[in-house]
Amino acid sequence: MRNIAKTGLALCGGLALTAASALAQDSGPLIDLLVKKGVVSDQEAEELRAELTQEYAKTSAGKLSLGSSVQSFKLSGDVRIRHQMETKQTTGKTATDERTRERFRFRLNGDAVLAKGWTTGFAFETANAADSGNQTFTNSNDDYNIYLARAYVGYAYNDNLNLTLGKFKNPLYTTDLAWDGDINPQGLTETYTFRFDGKDKLEVRALQNIMQDNDEKNWGDAGNDAWLFAQQLVYTKFFGANSLILAPGLTTYSNANLGTAMTNETPFAGTSSKLTMLTFAGEYNFANIAGSGNGIKVYFDSSYNFDASSRVSQVYNVNTATHGKEAFAWLLGVGYNHGSGKAQGDYSVKVDYRRSALGALDPNTSDSDFGFGNLNQEGFKIGASYNLLDFASLNLSYFYTTAIKDGLFQKDGKTTPTVAKLDHSQILQADLVVKF
Amino acid sequence: MKKLLSILAALLCVSAAYGQKLVIKGSDTLGAKLVPQAAEAFKTTHPDVAFEIAAEGSTTGIAAITDSTAQIGMSSRRAKPVEISAALAKGVTMKPTIVAYDGMAVIVNEANPVTELTLRQVEQIFTGDVTDWTAVGGNPGKFSIYTRNTSSGTYSDWKELAMKKRDYASSSQKMAGNEQIAAEVAKNPNGIGYVGLAYTHAPGIRVVGIVGKDKIAVLPSNQTVQAKTYPYARPTFFYTNGEPSGLTAEFVDFMLGAEGQALVQKVGFVPAVQH
Repeated sequence: MRNIAKTGLALCGGLALTAASALAQDSGPLIDLLVKKGVVSDQEAEELRAELTQEYAKTSAGKLSLGSSVQSFKLSGDVRIRHQMETKQTTGKTATDERTRERFRFRLNGDAVLAKGWTTGFAFETANAADSGNQTFTNSNDDYNIYLARAYVGYAYNDNLNLTLGKFKNPLYTTDLAWDGDINPQGLTETYTFRFDGKDKLEVRALQNIMQDNDEKNWGDAGNDAWLFAQQLVYTKFFGANSLILAPGLTTYSNANLGTAMTNETPFAGTSSKLTMLTFAGEYNFANIAGSGNGIKVYFDSSYNFDASSRVSQVYNVNTATHGKEAFAWLLGVGYNHGSGKAQGDYSVKVDYRRSALGALDPNTSDSDFGFGNLNQEGFKIGASYNLLDFASLNLSYFYTTAIKDGLFQKDGKTTPTVAKLDHSQILQADLVVKF
Repeated sequence: MKKLLSILAALLCVSAAYGQKLVIKGSDTLGAKLVPQAAEAFKTTHPDVAFEIAAEGSTTGIAAITDSTAQIGMSSRRAKPVEISAALAKGVTMKPTIVAYDGMAVIVNEANPVTELTLRQVEQIFTGDVTDWTAVGGNPGKFSIYTRNTSSGTYSDWKELAMKKRDYASSSQKMAGNEQIAAEVAKNPNGIGYVGLAYTHAPGIRVVGIVGKDKIAVLPSNQTVQAKTYPYARPTFFYTNGEPSGLTAEFVDFMLGAEGQALVQKVGFVPAVQH
């Protein structure tokens, strides 16, 4: 028996030396079984447990200590190196501005699942603009700052109700027509999910987003905080492998007064006054076409501002009698994916056409690359991605926009609104992205 | 000069012999009765040895080994990986020695009609999933749950053995030791708690049988703990910095010897070594 015990210990010990980290996690049941079978005594088992734990503690992973409340912790991120070519011409000018930039973006995410339904996390990135994490390589080998892009606390009351506070990923189902993909809203968000047969579900999503914090000691508008309130229903229906998503919503603002300009957003420090937007987005996925694992997605987004007439007239000072209220913005796109986009050799292409009407969108949140963030632009965006490796991809994006309405002059008849000065533009972005 | 040096050396030897002290810290389960009695018995053959025993919970015992403030750390639970890592960082290697086994008994007031509980019911009671005795066949009345405090090894062992590592009910009341839990349960008809085997004979309480997967109620005893048929049984430990040596080794050997293990049984634990 003693020899068997020694054999058992030698087996575990040998394994411990070769794969201490794995064994430290998994050896408990094995040791219990050896004890139960009488191969090792309780005392030998305890010594082995302690030895394995000590071996594990000497590994790199064993030296990392997390709080006992942490159930899991995921560290992830990416580095993106970008070559960007831009051309644009402003209204009334004949010269075209051209620029070539080398840019980069670094992001580091930490997301922890805690006990009792709580979650928390953070994200760092290389720029402080809400709608971009990019830094342009500038002069003399300068170094660059790191900013906090996300810091949140989440709580799942049950399988249906989730709450999140802080600065977090956008909880809304949307495209970059209305929400730039880089924006992390701040405030609080709630999601309630009704589940049906299979994977079908209806989610009620709500976002209360702090758009502007004002000091209440000030009189009038300057003393009121501005909030964005978005409510959305997201219905997901499966037809075998295919799926349909429909997401109607309503976005309103409080205390976004004419005299209070948003300062938290680039490129325009404008007000979000006179915006009551009915939004509707969705997609249909033809997944796994003919069993190939490839898919086609048709997607759309739209926004109608009930207060467009007042916004165009009062915020942008444009004569609506001449130019119309420009209340409706829309996007229609189609994409094809070969594989999931997570494995070497996977690729995808997509193209969309959109119309960003002057009175239909909030330029504080709309995509900053399409027409350089200007409104009164229509055009298309083409994107392509190829996975060089499972963790590295080459991406290409091309934007082409032109003015929806030429001569969109303000009421004085001479100037155009700051947010609508672009006649046409092009942006080409070539990216190398490495994820970790 | 030689004479002076010889006298000094002799004085040093004498003072060393008379200055031997064993510091033992940690588990209340071990430190309340068993180890003090073992220390007294040990002193009959080692009259020069002084003992300093502090029973303030297993966590304090393991920390004392890490900090080198005790030669022996008593613990009623295994050292956690984070504690072993912390010890390693200070050059301390945790060496466990099983000195006894213990059965953690579920106790109720002697007037309580409930005589047995299933594993599931015990989990439900201590996690707060059920709040009234009627849920487990008792008389109407809210549970008064008594547990050990958070520095106790028994506190965390119980979570692991009986509660699937879930948290205690928020209404549970934390007690300093086994004796306090037994005393509170004896006073309270709706009381329920857990104590080590050594404390199951306290007045006013009754031990309930635990019904496992085979549907048979099992009471904690020497036999059921040794046979591993009682579900809430556990080893108890002496932790030392590496292999014990000198006086520490002598005391550990004494505990594992015939006299020490007889004391283990006398106090109410289950021997780790059969003699």
